[in-house]
Amino acid sequence: MSAPEHASHKHGPGRYVAVWAALLVFTALTVGLGRIHLAGGWSIVIAMVIATVKASLVVLFFMHMKEHGGASRLVLATTLVFVALLMGLVLLDNATRFPLANPPTEATLPLMPPGPDATLPAAVPARAAH
Amino acid sequence: MSLSPVSIPPPSAEPAPLFNERNYLVAERGWRSWLTTLDHKRIGMIYLVLTLVAFLLGGIYAMVIRVELLTPGPTIIEAVTYNKAFTLHGVIMILLFMIPAIPGIFGNFFIPLMIGARDVAFPRLNLLSVYLYLAGMLIAIFGMIHGGADTGWTFYTPYSTTTITKVWPILLGGFILGMGSIVTGLNFIVTIHTLRAPGITWMKMPLFIWSAYATSVIQVLATPVLGITLLLVAVENVFGFGVFDPARGGDPVLFQHLFWFYSHPAVYIMILPAMGVISEVIQAFSRKNVFGYRAVALSSLGIAFVGFFTWGHHLFTSGQSAVDAGVFGVLTMFVGIFTAIKVFNWTATLYRGSISFQTPFAYVVAFLFFLVFGGMTGIALATVALDVHWQDTYFVVAHFHFIMVGGTITGFLGAIHYWWPKMTGKMYSEKWGLIAATFIFLGFNFTFVPQFLLGNAGMPRRYYSYPERFWPLNVASTAGASVLALGFVIILVYLLLSLKYGKPAGPNPWGSRGYEWQTLSPPPVENFESQPTYPRPPHDYDDANPAKEFH
Repeated sequence: MSAPEHASHKHGPGRYVAVWAALLVFTALTVGLGRIHLAGGWSIVIAMVIATVKASLVVLFFMHMKEHGGASRLVLATTLVFVALLMGLVLLDNATRFPLANPPTEATLPLMPPGPDATLPAAVPARAAH
Repeated sequence: MSLSPVSIPPPSAEPAPLFNERNYLVAERGWRSWLTTLDHKRIGMIYLVLTLVAFLLGGIYAMVIRVELLTPGPTIIEAVTYNKAFTLHGVIMILLFMIPAIPGIFGNFFIPLMIGARDVAFPRLNLLSVYLYLAGMLIAIFGMIHGGADTGWTFYTPYSTTTITKVWPILLGGFILGMGSIVTGLNFIVTIHTLRAPGITWMKMPLFIWSAYATSVIQVLATPVLGITLLLVAVENVFGFGVFDPARGGDPVLFQHLFWFYSHPAVYIMILPAMGVISEVIQAFSRKNVFGYRAVALSSLGIAFVGFFTWGHHLFTSGQSAVDAGVFGVLTMFVGIFTAIKVFNWTATLYRGSISFQTPFAYVVAFLFFLVFGGMTGIALATVALDVHWQDTYFVVAHFHFIMVGGTITGFLGAIHYWWPKMTGKMYSEKWGLIAATFIFLGFNFTFVPQFLLGNAGMPRRYYSYPERFWPLNVASTAGASVLALGFVIILVYLLLSLKYGKPAGPNPWGSRGYEWQTLSPPPVENFESQPTYPRPPHDYDDANPAKEFH
């Protein structure tokens, strides 16, 4: 039980300062990226990659997962699996919702109520591309 | 070393007293000693009182609903009051009774006793969980008195974010109750990992511990999702956030995904502890080692795991994609496999057992009937095409009451009748116990079997009025609910009477070989007079020598 705690006491504050500095750099990078508009949705991809790296740094060093073994890592891995499960099956719903709910030949647009309020759900144009 | 499952006193030792005067109930006096107690047994008793108050409240709402539905039109209350009544019935029964009851009462009381520990791992967190429960309960009751929500306990958007009734206090209450639930789950996980007495390996743990462990894992993993979701609804309702509002880029179906990601596994938070109780009682009252210990133990974890993959079966008709619906329909069926493993092993345990048909065992029989009936209708409902017909009808209401009332509450009643002598040191009236069990079994069937028929005939749930052709079955259902309520009142009366007039139970009135029976009744504050040893598995009835009984 105490072995990992001892391990974490071996190094001084230098490591944490370095991680903190890295987190600040990554934050600045994210802010900078937000000001440049990359084409094709790359902004969000890069932002998510940076966020994942930052979260990994926090988990590994500030939460000491690097020094912990066995049960602690298993708990972390389990929670990640369940987060992936929640996101995955919800996104699967969203990704497959309209094309299969409405066969491509079915006329969707004429069924929309006429008038200025008849705005299209965001997913419908995506369906038209099918 | 003795061959008995536990250490037994040498023959020269004094026989154990029939009633342990130096017990946890009287170790300290005064209400302050209860409010600040760190003793897991006292905390279990506090949960018993609080959850029974909640059960009474939820039961009153249930009877209000049933009396209102006695006639097709208005009977005793207005439509909006009816909507509030079924909302509050659901909120109270689920969040304040069925989720916390068995873990809070029997988990707290018996997990340390079953693993030979002095207390749970974090006694202060344990007390905190009581106060979180109390705070959540009071805030929710405040919300009920001041307005009361009419959304149904599922709080579906967009109705819950636009209703004029006041939903936020009940949502906040649910959030706080969830925190209490997480704390309890965490406490049990750490307790089971770290405080098992020498000799109790994982494969020698009582089966109740396995189910409590699986339950705790679900509580810790799933409850945060509910907490955040309820908060999102509250802020959307109060401040007009757009998470679930399509006009602002939100998605109301997203709410249902998030809500059921917790609330479906929550069904297993309710039923798994009951399954653990059944595993204990069935061994004690058939005097046989459980058939397939490993399968019963690990199927609890299987249910906990697979239970997370099924939430989408609540969304078959709410706009979820057909692909997702198909995936969830198939995944839901897997729960049936693990449940069937348990049911077949329990019935195989009974085979050639020496069965004593006493009150706790009566609830085992009722549980098996209700679980299989409710479970099989669940498999039917998981079939997408059938569910489209039954969605939001009384068929669904009957199905989940069979599982949750029929399963969880018979598990709860089995537990309270099995462990009452250990908790209080007193015996209740066996005759009245069996009479009440009969009332419960018959009343339950008369309440909910008609609801299956009503649902199949097309009567929607949560409707204030109905066509006259549904009248006779609704009368039958209300009559059944009255018998059910009478059964609960009888139980309450004889249990309370037993506290004063009951015979002293002795350390082990059932001759059970579960680990928890080797201490005195009621247990001393320290749980055991001397640290027991555990050379054999729990409920080992292979050696029929009566001298090997505990005490």
